[in-house]
Amino acid sequence: MANTTLGSTPKRRTDARTTRPDDRPSAPPLPTLRKPKPQVGRHVLLAVLALFTLFPVLLVVSTTLKTPEDVRVNPFGFFSTISLQNIVDAWTVGRFSDYLLNSILLTVPSTILVVAFSTMAGYTFARLPFRGRTAMFYLVVLGLLVPFFTYMIPLYFQLRSMGLLDTLLGAVLLLTSGGLSFGTFFMRAFFSDLPVELEQAARVDGASELQIFLRVMLPLARSGMGALTVFTFLGNWNNFLIPLLYLPGGDFRPLTSGLYMFTGGRSLDIGPLAAGTLITILPIIVLFIVLQRQVTQGFLSGAVKG
Amino acid sequence: MTTASLPAAAAATTPERRRRGARGPVNSSPPVTRRAQTRLGLILVAPVMILTVVFFVFPLANALYYSVVDFDGIDPNPSFVGLANFQEMFLDPEVWHALGNNLIWIVIGTAAPLVIGLLVSVLLWTTRAGTSPYRVIFFLPYVLPGVAIGIVWGWIYDPVSGWLNQALTVVGLGDLARGWLGDPNLALYAVLATAVWASTGFVIVILLSALRNVDIELVDAARIDGANPAQRLWYVILPQIMPVFLMVLTLTLVGGFSVFDIIFIMTGGGPAGATNTIGTYAYSQAFELSRIGYGTTLALLITVLSVPVAVFLNRLQRRLSLDGSGA
Repeated sequence: MANTTLGSTPKRRTDARTTRPDDRPSAPPLPTLRKPKPQVGRHVLLAVLALFTLFPVLLVVSTTLKTPEDVRVNPFGFFSTISLQNIVDAWTVGRFSDYLLNSILLTVPSTILVVAFSTMAGYTFARLPFRGRTAMFYLVVLGLLVPFFTYMIPLYFQLRSMGLLDTLLGAVLLLTSGGLSFGTFFMRAFFSDLPVELEQAARVDGASELQIFLRVMLPLARSGMGALTVFTFLGNWNNFLIPLLYLPGGDFRPLTSGLYMFTGGRSLDIGPLAAGTLITILPIIVLFIVLQRQVTQGFLSGAVKG
Repeated sequence: MTTASLPAAAAATTPERRRRGARGPVNSSPPVTRRAQTRLGLILVAPVMILTVVFFVFPLANALYYSVVDFDGIDPNPSFVGLANFQEMFLDPEVWHALGNNLIWIVIGTAAPLVIGLLVSVLLWTTRAGTSPYRVIFFLPYVLPGVAIGIVWGWIYDPVSGWLNQALTVVGLGDLARGWLGDPNLALYAVLATAVWASTGFVIVILLSALRNVDIELVDAARIDGANPAQRLWYVILPQIMPVFLMVLTLTLVGGFSVFDIIFIMTGGGPAGATNTIGTYAYSQAFELSRIGYGTTLALLITVLSVPVAVFLNRLQRRLSLDGSGA
């Protein structure tokens, strides 16, 4: 299909593009003078790479769908007959229904708090100058450089003395504070790019500083907040260490640490383990496929603006 | 260019000002506005500052304290031991082994995703049609939780019926089949391969966006001048995306210093410490042997090593993006 436009007339040479139409992948490629080359080899190569990338996910799906006998005979092969028994086992016996609920209870509040607090602080660091602001900002973004395990041990004892160990509140607060460095950094870059004239015009019209933030800036920041929501959600849903270390009792265990505990306890039950893995990754895959543009764009702007 | 007509607005958003940590909009506001801004600003940053101080600054300061005491996690008054933890750290052969593993991880774990990512992104960039599904597929591993990735790759590496050994047998290389995660000489590289699988998609997505800004005419000119694909990549394409390339390098390098999750999940530092990095070694000292002081000292070592590298690379990347027209 690509090759049909390639027999272009020489005068189209002046159309030689400086950028690829990457943001419109479905659009027909612009004509060039380049010698028409079949790209079959490229597509074969890409397909092989894609299969390699997807293989572990396919393995999870196929193992989940096997019957328990099939798993016993042939633990890592593909399924011969389809059975949902593993999913039922993981859901009920394996407590993955509880883990799913806990993942939601941990991820939803922490994501909302990260986005709200980061937006407020990001706006301040971009738009509201006052003494000491720069020092505060550096303190917050220092969290991006210091690995979590450097302070995870003292944090354990601190949480215990605060009475927050093994509580939902404690874990939500930790997930929240863990997301603030990046969130603040990201929202600050976002607000810095908005034009100053808007703010000045609103001020001339008599708006208070709070009104400027809530009425003028916040609506403009919606796309930034959306991107931050998506990848804070991903990060908190996937977070492994915080629930593992700070929710040791098991009552509030989410999918990630629940799955980890499941491997330790019953390492031979490959079928339910595969089903548990599928229950853990399915929400993420669905979210990713639905929001893939926002996810990749969000990661891009977050990374590139830094 | 438009600086003359819009001095305040243009100046407020140039990268130069941001780099110097300049204070937002140019200071033209009257004192009343200033005061109102200060008041609102302090209210808006309060939640972030409180959480940062309580759950980051305070435990980090405590980490410094733990590094000079002998703390078992129970004793409310741990004894002061001065620099004994640091002394032990320098004399502990396992620390040097773990640091060596960190170094291997940093070098391969940074180079492999960058090289593979660069090649695949250029492949996608020069492919004319139907590439959007591949971007989604390649990025997918990056959003999957590390636990799930570790478990599934553990099956693939399984010594008896794992996919890798079965595949090797099928193609006649059965002699190479082994317990990948149980072999002290191979376990680190097996886990590393999983990490590369999981992180390359991120590099691809970032580099693809940088490639959009590459001047195709320069590439075509180089082709006419007789440059082969490797030369075009090295001399024409790569310099144009250098700032973004360095940014990805920084991110993966810093991630390499602080590697923890995937090793912890797949091998826990074993077999016999063969895959220990400073992170997993610190964890086992602190939580398994209740040597909180020593474990914390080890964890501090990584911060001390990684922060200067990150700051240096970040400076370098910013200088390049300001000099060139890139990103």
